[in-house]
Amino acid sequence: MEEMVNSRYLLMLLVAAAMLLPPLLAWGEHIYLRHGDVSGKRRVLYLLLYFVLIHAVVFGAAHVRGVRGLSLQTVTLTYVIKHLGFGLICALIAPFFCCLILESDITPHGFQKYGRRLFKDIRRYSQYVVRSAGAYLRAEVVNSYLDWLWWLIEPLCMMLIYTFIFGYVFGSSEPNFSVFVFIGLIMWNFFSRNVSYSVNAISLNLPIITRVYLPKYMLLATQILVNGFKLMVSYGITFVMILLFRIPLTVHILWAVPLLFLLFLFTFAVGTFLMHYGVYVKDLSHVVGIVLNMMMYLSGVFYSMNRLPAPFDGLLGTFNPMAFLMSAMRDALLYGTMPDWGVYFGWLCASLVIAAVGLYTIYYNENAYAKIS
Amino acid sequence: MGEHAIDVKNISIHYRILNSASVRGGFWGKKKRNLVHEAVKDLSFSVDRGEVLGIVGKNGSGKSTLLRSIAGIFAPNVGEIDLHGYTVSLMALGIGFVSRLSGRENIMLSGMLLGFSEKAIREKMDEIIEFSELGEFIDRPVATYSSGMHSKLAFAITAMLETDIMLVDEVLSVGDSRFQKKSFAKMRELIMDVNTTVLIVSHNMETLRSLCDRVLWIHDGVMKEIGDTETVIQHYNDFMNK
Repeated sequence: MEEMVNSRYLLMLLVAAAMLLPPLLAWGEHIYLRHGDVSGKRRVLYLLLYFVLIHAVVFGAAHVRGVRGLSLQTVTLTYVIKHLGFGLICALIAPFFCCLILESDITPHGFQKYGRRLFKDIRRYSQYVVRSAGAYLRAEVVNSYLDWLWWLIEPLCMMLIYTFIFGYVFGSSEPNFSVFVFIGLIMWNFFSRNVSYSVNAISLNLPIITRVYLPKYMLLATQILVNGFKLMVSYGITFVMILLFRIPLTVHILWAVPLLFLLFLFTFAVGTFLMHYGVYVKDLSHVVGIVLNMMMYLSGVFYSMNRLPAPFDGLLGTFNPMAFLMSAMRDALLYGTMPDWGVYFGWLCASLVIAAVGLYTIYYNENAYAKIS
Repeated sequence: MGEHAIDVKNISIHYRILNSASVRGGFWGKKKRNLVHEAVKDLSFSVDRGEVLGIVGKNGSGKSTLLRSIAGIFAPNVGEIDLHGYTVSLMALGIGFVSRLSGRENIMLSGMLLGFSEKAIREKMDEIIEFSELGEFIDRPVATYSSGMHSKLAFAITAMLETDIMLVDEVLSVGDSRFQKKSFAKMRELIMDVNTTVLIVSHNMETLRSLCDRVLWIHDGVMKEIGDTETVIQHYNDFMNK
């Protein structure tokens, strides 16, 4: 009986959290991103706006999924956790869009104009991007004693550490645990390196930006290529490991290609956003560091999503793109199954939208970047 | 000459003076409006093809801002700049290099950003290296260069990769006296070329006297005078010595 009371109590607490936390998070983020440029009256207005917006989206999604007639008496723990999780993800994303729409008047005509410039710039600067990525890689090799071996040694050492701690000390029962960890780890390294670079991309390249014009997202593209090359080297090792451990090779290995494409696109999309805000908010890199750390533990770098208790596994696997990508990649390479195409296309569309809005912002504000010196 | 290479029409350039933002300030900080500083105000002039225009003005009067916006690094907030499709490069002090990369790589990358093809740069590569007098340093990272070597390399790149319009910002006094003589001679050669339009910012009146066809005087972002070299420099000197 007491247990019942306790769980009832917990449920109510969670309901309150699900109602209040997401709008508060979104609101705080909004004020943060506008760096104090919001007046007192508007602050209240935005809080209300986010409350309505986020819960409308979440309840709307629930309605579509067939959840009807919710009330405090009938609500289940699973639903509340889903509501809280989805709400928090919405809250994390919504302020970026709200700030953008309020800051840089997004119009269809603007999209047309910048779209044309995008294609022109890609043609003009793609050679530069490839060339400078090559130069960076060569410079890294020339300046260290172990040369390009570092690209192999670093992920391999990380894999050994994680295999030892999670495979032996904590006794994970994943088959081929080291390959399992390695696949997750290299994808995570790629993502987190590019994301933390993008926050400082403008300030790191200020000497170039203030001397000659270049579309600023090309700096991000260069870095993605550099890290992408290292990722490919790591995939070479993965392949060797798959052969060594005699993991059966199937035709499903080909799904790695579309999955990698999504990884690159999603990373670029997130990068464009952070690149813009990194110029204006000087301590954004600390926040990004914390969020990345949290995201790493929620992405299943060293555990399988299936091991999580019931409502979490599906939720994280769907709403955390990195978790989805990692488990889909493992499915393709190790277990010979297809990714969930519904989730795949969902994130593909989301990435395209984020990238489009991010590129728009960068074009719109590019004059301002060059003046910060 | 008649044919214009640069048309600057009523341009104004603003700088937003940003309040530094931080997480703490975002939540508890008082509302502060971002201030706007107008570096260039309603400026119009034209430069003929092949002409050499000097720009004078005291420090902070908007000369470098003007050059940077003609170079396309940022667009003016108001008005427009028409370069009639000519290519443009800015020669300025300060580093435009990636310090981790070697001089050779930096030549290639800078050249590509200026709009040259890889082949065109490779053809000029030896010439640039020779002019910059860097010798074996050319294959070491730019981070190891002295400031003189930096400027020499920067000058060599922009001087050898000739664009139709060259914007020169205070770089005619880089390096030792021998290099100065050499760069001055190269500059003169470029200026003699009737196809190259040059804008020079300098505080050295002798340089301007010997190189320029006309001089533009900017004061606090506003055009004070434009015209014959001798006259404008005379007025400017009188003003500065007051």
